[in-house]
Amino acid sequence: MALTREDVRGIADYARIALTEEELDEMTTYMNEAVEMLQPIREYDLEGVEPTFHPIGDLSNVMAGDTPNAHGRSLDIDVALSNAGASQGRTFRVPSILGDEGGDR
Amino acid sequence: MKKLQEVLRDWEAVIGLEVHTELTTLETKMFCDCRLSHDDEPNTNVCPVCLGMPGALPVPNRKAIESIVMAGLATNCEIQPRSYFYRKHYFYPDMSKNYQTTQGPVAFCMYGHLDLEVTGQGAKERPDSTVSKASDGSYVAPIRILRIHMEEDAAKMVHVGGTEGRITSAAESLIDYNRCGTPLIELVTEPDLRTPEEARLFMEKLRQTFLTLGISDCSLENGSMRCDGNVSIRRRGTTEFGTKTEMKNINSFKSLHNALEYEICRQAEVLEEGGIVYQETRHWEPSKRRTVVMRVKETADDYRMYPDPDLAPFDLSDEFVERCRARVPELPDAKRDRYINDFGLKRADAAQIAGDPATATFFEQAVATVKDKVVPTVANVVVNLVPATKAVTSAQVASLSSLLAADAITFAQAREVLEVIDGTTMDPEKIVDERGMRQSTDTDALSATVEEVLARCTDQVRQYKEGNKKVVGFLVGQCMKASRGTGNPKLFNQLLRERLEA
Amino acid sequence: MANFDTLSAAAIAAGVKAGDFSATEVARAALDAIEARDGEVQAFLQTSAELALEAAAATDAARAAGEELGPLAGVPMAYKDNMHLVGTRTTCASKMLYNYESTFTATCVQRTLDAGATPVGKANMDEFAFGSSTESSAFHPTCNPWDTTRVPGGSSGGSAAAVASGEVPLSLGSDTGGSIRQPASFCGVVGMKPTYGAVSRYGVVAFGSSLDQVGPFGRSVTDVALAMNALVAGGRDHLDSTSQEVPANFLDGLEDSVEGMRVGIISALMEHEAVTDEVRKGLEAARAALEAQGVEVVEVELPNMTSAIAAYYVIGPSEAFSNLARFDGVRFGYQEPNCTTLAEQTALSRAHGFGAEAKRRQMLGAYLLAAGVYDKYYYPAQQVRTLITDDYRRAFECCDAILLPTSPTSAFHFGEISDPTQMYASDLFTISNNIAGNGGVSVPVGLGSTSGMPIAAQLQGPAFKDHTLLRMARALERSIEEAGLAKPGTVAPAFAGKGGEL
Repeated sequence: MALTREDVRGIADYARIALTEEELDEMTTYMNEAVEMLQPIREYDLEGVEPTFHPIGDLSNVMAGDTPNAHGRSLDIDVALSNAGASQGRTFRVPSILGDEGGDR
Repeated sequence: MKKLQEVLRDWEAVIGLEVHTELTTLETKMFCDCRLSHDDEPNTNVCPVCLGMPGALPVPNRKAIESIVMAGLATNCEIQPRSYFYRKHYFYPDMSKNYQTTQGPVAFCMYGHLDLEVTGQGAKERPDSTVSKASDGSYVAPIRILRIHMEEDAAKMVHVGGTEGRITSAAESLIDYNRCGTPLIELVTEPDLRTPEEARLFMEKLRQTFLTLGISDCSLENGSMRCDGNVSIRRRGTTEFGTKTEMKNINSFKSLHNALEYEICRQAEVLEEGGIVYQETRHWEPSKRRTVVMRVKETADDYRMYPDPDLAPFDLSDEFVERCRARVPELPDAKRDRYINDFGLKRADAAQIAGDPATATFFEQAVATVKDKVVPTVANVVVNLVPATKAVTSAQVASLSSLLAADAITFAQAREVLEVIDGTTMDPEKIVDERGMRQSTDTDALSATVEEVLARCTDQVRQYKEGNKKVVGFLVGQCMKASRGTGNPKLFNQLLRERLEA
Repeated sequence: MANFDTLSAAAIAAGVKAGDFSATEVARAALDAIEARDGEVQAFLQTSAELALEAAAATDAARAAGEELGPLAGVPMAYKDNMHLVGTRTTCASKMLYNYESTFTATCVQRTLDAGATPVGKANMDEFAFGSSTESSAFHPTCNPWDTTRVPGGSSGGSAAAVASGEVPLSLGSDTGGSIRQPASFCGVVGMKPTYGAVSRYGVVAFGSSLDQVGPFGRSVTDVALAMNALVAGGRDHLDSTSQEVPANFLDGLEDSVEGMRVGIISALMEHEAVTDEVRKGLEAARAALEAQGVEVVEVELPNMTSAIAAYYVIGPSEAFSNLARFDGVRFGYQEPNCTTLAEQTALSRAHGFGAEAKRRQMLGAYLLAAGVYDKYYYPAQQVRTLITDDYRRAFECCDAILLPTSPTSAFHFGEISDPTQMYASDLFTISNNIAGNGGVSVPVGLGSTSGMPIAAQLQGPAFKDHTLLRMARALERSIEEAGLAKPGTVAPAFAGKGGEL
């Protein structure tokens, strides 16, 4: 079933990408073409086939020790804030949240 | 609104808890080696990983994985050898990558349980007919645990400008990522809890268990242990679940109880008046003792969960799990039972001491040096006197308990001695001797005092003989006064009665 | 002396060690060559003259002090601009990161520096590595040094063009679906995508975390082997959970005979309508060249390879959506001015910071990971990945490497492919390698009879057999040179000798 313009608008809202009405048209066309290209995936009988989420063979249980700053990566405050568009004192600053509370955690 | 007990006669409450616990006793964060400390100045403990900088990659903290496995073993969970970390997406800047690294359908720990002993006043919340209760009204409630999974905590945001620091009216927000990436374990119960008291006891027991494991400081007040409560109600006798609401901002055991109590009564009132309970998140306001709506959930959130490609899967070996098991210390229930069986402690004292690892260690240090028959006295002192002190040692408590057990001092004097030695290295024996507190158990000396008092208090002697046996209390007091507090009141009582009955 | 573009990386390192010239002289020559050539090629987004001269001076000082120099001593290198290097901006060729200063240095970059390399600058690319032509760079296109009206390929087009035009002898790129091998093919240089996990991804801005792999470009297989040695020296990177130990010396036995080894071909693939005649001829030449070296050619099958593009355009965009979620304009990146709410700031920063293709990929990913859609595409795509991996495993039971084209065509003209999904098809022969994770290398086999542009053959090997793969690639290169079809080590004719006198 084809994605409608409103479906695409909903996805853009979720992905926090403000699209103009014109971009929305183009994006809808693109999304439907792209999804069409993915159809071979749906033609398989994949009963009993395990997924490969990581192409890493048997690698598992990768963990690190609990030693502070073992890799010397701690950033000085000026470096930490250096790429931020807005900061105040030692903190990052964002405009009003306006009821936007993120998810449940 | 009706009272809880009244509501629960007609309605059954169905409660589930989600408990987040920060692994505060670790040195570093979950996926990077930043120091774990929330007290430093904002953004002191940050690196490219926990700031979510492009190109940074996570590596899981081994000790955090060991801690959650220990938590699972201590709560009777099945440890899942094979599991993945997942990415849970939502756009909110307290999570620096705009996704939280958490676990998917399979958590490290699944399908556990804790059994609650519900006693005393709290047991009355549950109507007798719904559970089999002992003669004293107590009962055991088995609570299933669905899962405990590993994840990371979010940054702290401070909302400024606007009124009362409320999010919705704030002009801007300031973000401190020190907490971002703190190892966090989330435990989810099955909806097996039936009363606010059971919920409170579950949290308390969980806290005792995690404290005993040493994996967290479990502070509800500071937020290192946080609890969301889900509650719905249904008519007694029905099995279908009602619409649940979710309670947030619960930062004490009392709040947990009171928020659930309020919410159960509120839902009952809504339903009894023919209204509808909406699926929503509600905020507990302790000062007003009520919950208010935070947000209505019309549809389930879609977090676009998928296995994190940056993190290799886990395939925990039996050896890894057994090493964790070997590190699980004696848990509160086992400790309580041992105290009852080995020391003959009262169940309540044993449970109270066993429930707090610091207290249990203190108690065991104190009893190591005393005679067996003194042990219950040590327990009594530890439970009833020590909590009011600031810094007494187990050796001081041992010494004090021995004096108390030998009737050398009274309980009231023991309290007085503790106040004097609190924060010092002084030996209680010395204080007792210096202050002449030591009570005489020399019967001859005490008998002399008794004779002197009886000779003086002829009125009271007559009253006793006429049947007013209570007057002996006055006479004991006179004896204590005459002996300037050095006589043992129990012995005076015994000697007086012998003399008056003769 | 000669122009520095006639020297291989190995020869430069040897010359610096021997004192034939200093690292500083080489650095100046490279900067001079860039000055003279980059106006036309536009391979660089920034040069780092100061860093280069500092590093070269340090190399010269180390030599003067009698210290042993690293295998890349004094070798000028360019890095794709998705790799962090402190002292440079890392822009990913995006407006989103136009002023992003690297806060740490990527492991792959650091390892080349540890080996003595001289960092001369950051190379252009498709925005966030989304593309096959470098046309989606937000800043400027890069031209193919063989014909500046054509694209250099992508996404690592700048890295390939810098090597092909003689601006540097070595560069690093990243390959998510062919982004090293395809531009190597278009620009007539050697480009290798090592096995996933062989080279650390730490510090490389992620596109598709389970697909991305860093690798080198050089004008000969030997130089690529030299760079590979530096990249894997130091063992697995403890900062990348998916990195693995590669205990190989890639120069060891590189010149050894490959007689009796077997190479697999897939005849059916050559019939694909997208494959041009000159590419088909190039592959025939490669086959003949390998046979001339005593290699036995066997027929193999990769039956699920045709689904690799579909699997890739599920997995890649999904991971890209997730990886690019962190670009919200808060901690770093383009921030839309004058927004009154966070939601507005986030949505507009992302709308105006990202280019069209970056938005398309993220939108597709956000859709594919949605509840209900995940089960239709994402999960089955990962199952198909298993089938493709199994295909390779079976194929490698009867051969040491598989021979196939790198790209179905030679370099196309600017603007020639404007439809995004048509552009995706140019990764036809490279993508399955990223899906399965095994290594692949592109080797020039001469110029196309129609276009006059470089044509390449691709060799793919089993996972973690990159050492054998390079030995096979070297045999192919040697044989092609013996046949007079291409001369390894040479730069695109129009740029040879322009600036860069040593």
